[in-house]
Amino acid sequence: MWLIRVNMTDLTSSVGPLPDAYQHLGGRGMTSTIVAKEVPPLCHPLGPNNKLVFAPGIVTGTPAPTSARVSAGAKSPLTGGIKESNGGSSWAADLADMQVRALVVEGQAKKNGKFWGLHLLWDAAASQPKVEFFDASEHAGKDLFEVFPKVYAKFGDKISISGCGVSGEYGYGNAGIVYNDPAKGPTRYSGRGGLGSVMGSKGLKLIVLSREGTPGVPITDEALFDQGRKKMIDALRTHDITKPKGALNTYGTAVLINIMNEAGGLPTRNFSSGRFEGAAKTAGEAIFEGNKQRLGKELYNHACSPGCIIQCSNTWHNPDGTEAASCVEYESDWALGANCGIDSLDDIATMVKLCNGYGLDTIETGATIGVIMEAGVIPFGDSQGAINLIHEMGKGTPLGRILGGGTGFAGKAYGMTRVPAVKGQGMPAYEPRAVKGIGITYATSTMGADHTAGYTIAPEILGVSGKQDPLTPEGKAALSRGFQAATAFIDTSGHCLFIAFAVLDIASGMEGMVEECNGVLGTQWTTADIGRVGAEVLKAERAFNEAAGLGKETDRIPEFMRTEPLPPHNQVFDVSDEALDSVYAEL
Amino acid sequence: MSEIVVDVWLYGGLSKYGRGAEQGSFANLEARLRGGSTIGDLLAHLQMPSRERGITFINSQLSAMPGLQPDMDHILSDGDRAAFFHLNSMWPFQYRLGAAMIRELAEAMQAGKDEGLHHSYGEHESTTE
Repeated sequence: MWLIRVNMTDLTSSVGPLPDAYQHLGGRGMTSTIVAKEVPPLCHPLGPNNKLVFAPGIVTGTPAPTSARVSAGAKSPLTGGIKESNGGSSWAADLADMQVRALVVEGQAKKNGKFWGLHLLWDAAASQPKVEFFDASEHAGKDLFEVFPKVYAKFGDKISISGCGVSGEYGYGNAGIVYNDPAKGPTRYSGRGGLGSVMGSKGLKLIVLSREGTPGVPITDEALFDQGRKKMIDALRTHDITKPKGALNTYGTAVLINIMNEAGGLPTRNFSSGRFEGAAKTAGEAIFEGNKQRLGKELYNHACSPGCIIQCSNTWHNPDGTEAASCVEYESDWALGANCGIDSLDDIATMVKLCNGYGLDTIETGATIGVIMEAGVIPFGDSQGAINLIHEMGKGTPLGRILGGGTGFAGKAYGMTRVPAVKGQGMPAYEPRAVKGIGITYATSTMGADHTAGYTIAPEILGVSGKQDPLTPEGKAALSRGFQAATAFIDTSGHCLFIAFAVLDIASGMEGMVEECNGVLGTQWTTADIGRVGAEVLKAERAFNEAAGLGKETDRIPEFMRTEPLPPHNQVFDVSDEALDSVYAEL
Repeated sequence: MSEIVVDVWLYGGLSKYGRGAEQGSFANLEARLRGGSTIGDLLAHLQMPSRERGITFINSQLSAMPGLQPDMDHILSDGDRAAFFHLNSMWPFQYRLGAAMIRELAEAMQAGKDEGLHHSYGEHESTTE
């Protein structure tokens, strides 16, 4: 197994064996360990001392279902803290199949308008991966929908691509890292935290992986791995949320639009209400029915990456049946829809596609536009105005650069007090005043406001069963702590977080995940190790953040959420600071 | 007893029970019921079998989940909003931890396995061979 270092300052690379200390790490565990160990916490995120780390998960590249995931990590230009942003793509599996457990991009190329690409391929003679640099300047300033076909034309079909869009070249806080989807389009993202700008700041535009001849991921104990894999497959194919033609495969994550709206927790018009009158027109059910009308047949969702059996990635179609955008995730749909007072799926899809082309994080983009609408730059509900604002970002105009800085930055520029962000990261689609548990996770996560930071696992594994009343703030804080640790483990395993939906209710699935990891690594973990391994990742992240100036004082929900009651429940966020502080104090 | 009017929202495939009020992927209608009517009475009025509904809200308070329906005898009031979801919806636990529930559901969750810390509460049946 290999660790590759690429130095962009002198355009050199080294391929070396994976250090012993990293043998049992993968995904988020790997990226956060390396960033915490090697990146000066006070460095400028866009300077030469930051490092961008890519790591496939432990079981990524194997036949484990729904596991083609990669973690990208660095110091975030959006939050100023550590960042792990997860994406699903063949790029993840191809990196793993090259037996590369970590790719570390260091230094900074000369800023002379030139951008570079990396081409990683398998050197059969040397039985190890090798790195070649290529001039990628021709792709600078271009829409990613133009760039990707040219890269495939140059390198052939047996490749995967990652890169940054123009937003990463500009250094925006809302620039993501893009990966190819199964149809070779630029639609899969490590979206959050501005990591596209870390990539762009290094003069790096593209990383192309050639899968030809790669040896695949070695498995230490095939029988154990296979036993675990079968348990996981059974759980995913059986659970109502993850099974074929189940909730996610039929309606996608946008199935949550109507649910959150009825719950009074769908943030609307920059978090001024929990209910949006146009929600049903933009929901997963509306996407399914709309596609059916426009295509003349039912359309179930597809896999975002090879080997996924949940298959939740949707496509919205134009009236003539052509593709409008993929994927209209719940959070994108909300950010560019309800949060902006927009109820047109066609307009939301247009914005999703623009974000994909410019390399923008849809959540941060929509959260920012919501604040700017409240500031009066354009009115709520103005689809065309919102589309124009995204073009401003893509063109790098002065207004576009203010918006590209992210929700907190744009809020400051316009003197706004109602700015839904934690640690500078725009808040996703679940209202903390209506769902206080997610508010605790938003406040305390090492990532800033992050809806993927605290997925639920079984209480007996968390060790909280019967000890805490989940209805009290302290009980919710204890659960959030356990959920955050479990999530860090899943992000390390290489599985998509959505496996958590099934394995919470089907315990054998959870055992299967651990057996898969043991099968690959030769470890002897049990489900009791999930929290321990995850907590070690969180501690490393937390230590980095504290050294970077993000201590417990930054584990807070925006003030307006503590003072402004949210309709329809008319509740404020009233979890005490002591309860919030207990999440990491007792880790 | 006086009449009450309930604002009913039916999502996905349940919209067929909103006869005449379907709007593609959902239906919204007013149901006129006798005072003192319950969720069970409303379901009967809609001619909707309770087994076909999953997540349910009364005035933005969660009242039922798939496999857990303690709200059948919940008495409705004039002006209430009742929303019924098909069985292919979801509301994962981490996104509803701390959300409002009717008393009957909160008690059922507390009494249930793991104090209700689950995504769904029924049996899971594979749709594949």
